[in-house]
Amino acid sequence: MRPLDGVRILDFTHVLAGPFCTRLMADMGADVVKVNSRTRVQINAPAGPYFTLWNRNKRTVALDMSREEARKIAYELASKADVVIDNFSMGVLDRWGIGYDEISQHNHKVVYVQMSGMGGDGPWSNFVTYAPTIHALAGFTYTTGVPGRQDIGLGFSYNDHQAGLHAAVAILSALESRRRTGKGQKIDISQFEVAVNLLGPTLMDWFANGIEAQPCANDMPHDRIAPHGCYRCAAPDTGEVLAERWIAIACMNDDQWRSLQGVLGSPSWAMDADFQSGEGRYQRRRFIDAKLAEWTASQNSAELMTELQNAGVPAGVVQDGVDLMERDPQLQAREFIQEIEEPHPSMKRTYADKLPIEFERTPCDVYKRARTLGEDNVAILSDWLGIEEEAVRKGEEEGYLT
Amino acid sequence: MTETAKALSGVRIVDFSDERAVYGVKLLADLGADVIRPVSDEGDPLATRGPFDQQTGQSLWYAYHTSSRRVLHVSPDPQQPNLLNDLCAHADVVVVNDRHPFESELDLAQVRQRSPSTVIVECTSFGKTGPWANFLAPDLVAGAMGGSVGITGDAETPPLKPFGDLNFAVSGAYVAIACLAGLYCARNSEEGQFVRVSAHECIASCLEHVFMWYLYNDSFPRAQRRALERRGSLHWTDLYHVMAAQDGNIMVTPTPSLDNQLVWLIEEDAHDDLLDPEYQEPQARGKWARRMMDVLRNWVATKDVESLFFEAQEHHAPYGWVHSIPQVADNPQLAARDWWESVKVGGNTVTTTGVPYQHHDTPAAPRDTEEIVFDSEDVINAIGWGDEE
Repeated sequence: MRPLDGVRILDFTHVLAGPFCTRLMADMGADVVKVNSRTRVQINAPAGPYFTLWNRNKRTVALDMSREEARKIAYELASKADVVIDNFSMGVLDRWGIGYDEISQHNHKVVYVQMSGMGGDGPWSNFVTYAPTIHALAGFTYTTGVPGRQDIGLGFSYNDHQAGLHAAVAILSALESRRRTGKGQKIDISQFEVAVNLLGPTLMDWFANGIEAQPCANDMPHDRIAPHGCYRCAAPDTGEVLAERWIAIACMNDDQWRSLQGVLGSPSWAMDADFQSGEGRYQRRRFIDAKLAEWTASQNSAELMTELQNAGVPAGVVQDGVDLMERDPQLQAREFIQEIEEPHPSMKRTYADKLPIEFERTPCDVYKRARTLGEDNVAILSDWLGIEEEAVRKGEEEGYLT
Repeated sequence: MTETAKALSGVRIVDFSDERAVYGVKLLADLGADVIRPVSDEGDPLATRGPFDQQTGQSLWYAYHTSSRRVLHVSPDPQQPNLLNDLCAHADVVVVNDRHPFESELDLAQVRQRSPSTVIVECTSFGKTGPWANFLAPDLVAGAMGGSVGITGDAETPPLKPFGDLNFAVSGAYVAIACLAGLYCARNSEEGQFVRVSAHECIASCLEHVFMWYLYNDSFPRAQRRALERRGSLHWTDLYHVMAAQDGNIMVTPTPSLDNQLVWLIEEDAHDDLLDPEYQEPQARGKWARRMMDVLRNWVATKDVESLFFEAQEHHAPYGWVHSIPQVADNPQLAARDWWESVKVGGNTVTTTGVPYQHHDTPAAPRDTEEIVFDSEDVINAIGWGDEE
């Protein structure tokens, strides 16, 4: 048993934000039926690694939505669903006749999630966005960087993940509401609003005080904390990306600073009376940064991390993908990356990163491979709609099921 | 709007969270959950986080993260040694972090015994087991070890922490999901459970390409190593990059249709050598795409950023104008959706962000934090959580 056993989700999502949401729900036991299209290609191709990452534990039905017969099946599936979710451009599902207004007439319990870039109304509602677009518009790109540069930002689709997480929160809250009222509802998720919300305190600082946040490298933007940075360590022998190793050190209070002093061996520079207070350290943080960088430059980052942590100083190796996979003993001990048992028909070996939520009584430790195009047509249409296999095969022959 | 109109109205939560989970509880509180946050005489450690309202000295960070809650000031009371456990036993969900100020007073196993349907969500930095289980990790360190810092910044910068608390915003969002999924399960089975969230694993789970690049490295012909270097805003596909226009920066991408982008460049007579025969072969598609990014960089440099952004959207091209914080605050889309909210912070009313989803029947919104001083012998009934309620 898993926590969301019995929840049926009809999934019209693509790329990352939507599939990440429905992956979470599938990991937790929901029966997620992903509607695939034969025409969707590139990184969304069902036989590609990107697709397999975000679509494990789901089942797939492949419909040619240009066909009336396929749209009718989609409507019937939506009529049986607890949740319908899409992250297409505004209006696509309405044009297919499976918009909220149509579906909710016969399925009063449906939670219908429209997960667009900018939200369902407003002058920018039809804007096309991907995560990097949102990062730029929401202030992430401007603020994540070093002083004087507003062009760095995030090099990965952070907000797609966040939009997926927030969509899951929205769905689960609507299911709780439905338990009380007996009614589903429509939820409009703007991925832009998800992102802007995450900069709440910074925006409040602007509204209340007129203070405009600027890129501040690894300083905390609103708190006077030092040391708080990434410091270069001894380079590895060979083969590493950029041949660099770094350690992050953050003394959040005086106790942690005193512990750091101890690990440093109490050198005279660190014993300066000014540094006994957080404010004093913050005022001269560049000096401290330079001294720490001198100290870390010849040290092994992993060994130094362990020494600092054992002394009570928050410190951590700046890990890259190889570190996470090969050198992170914590992820290894907790079996974070797992090979999926059943080989994928074309990719053979595929993998799952574990759901980072552990339910003690209803563990979510089932990881099934991403399915190929239309692989579950028969099972889904039988389970949800009671359609016989023969009829499904006929639909496949005629092409509206693909 | 009445309280009963919110999605989580009637859901009782006791909140002992710190930075690692407090954002998740905010989400639940803004959705209408009745969240009680016990705070000791020494005050709430989170209330020391900046920024601060310059007029009142109150923490805006705290106001944002604790909106819609009831903060219960708890003094040690020899008459009621079990007060916090009582409170938790009357809750649907309890959220805790390790090392929270009331850790020694709480007996969560006892709470589960007394109230079998209660869901207890515990967020730790690295999980309860494993060699790093006791390591300390504020947001920067958590991001470093979780992988987000290693892919932020570029060759000219150190690895960079995403601005603000974006790492703990991830673990916080997972905590909200853990609470609600646990609650859904408890509603159906009448049995709660312990649910555990590792911030380290949460951050590692939201790195987009990082594990893919390692695990499926052979699928990427241009991949020389199993980890990508820090490359600023340049996406792993090489097809999204922040470029400098005449008067500002803009994120430019030729996706989703490189052919449409080419047509636009041809219309502008800015396509340079993109029609050369050397790029016509299917195997040269990647090289052509990267060449297009170079051509775009030169073209964008001649453009006014605002015009280019809107022109791109007319071409269905998802360019993103790099906005400063005041520009975000002034965004016409947010204004048109009447998105901003306000909360009281120490007597001042301050504009804050709206909620990240709009439930059409049960709209959520942040509300003011309410302070409750525990001065009653019967706090459970005083807060409306008594059995007769």
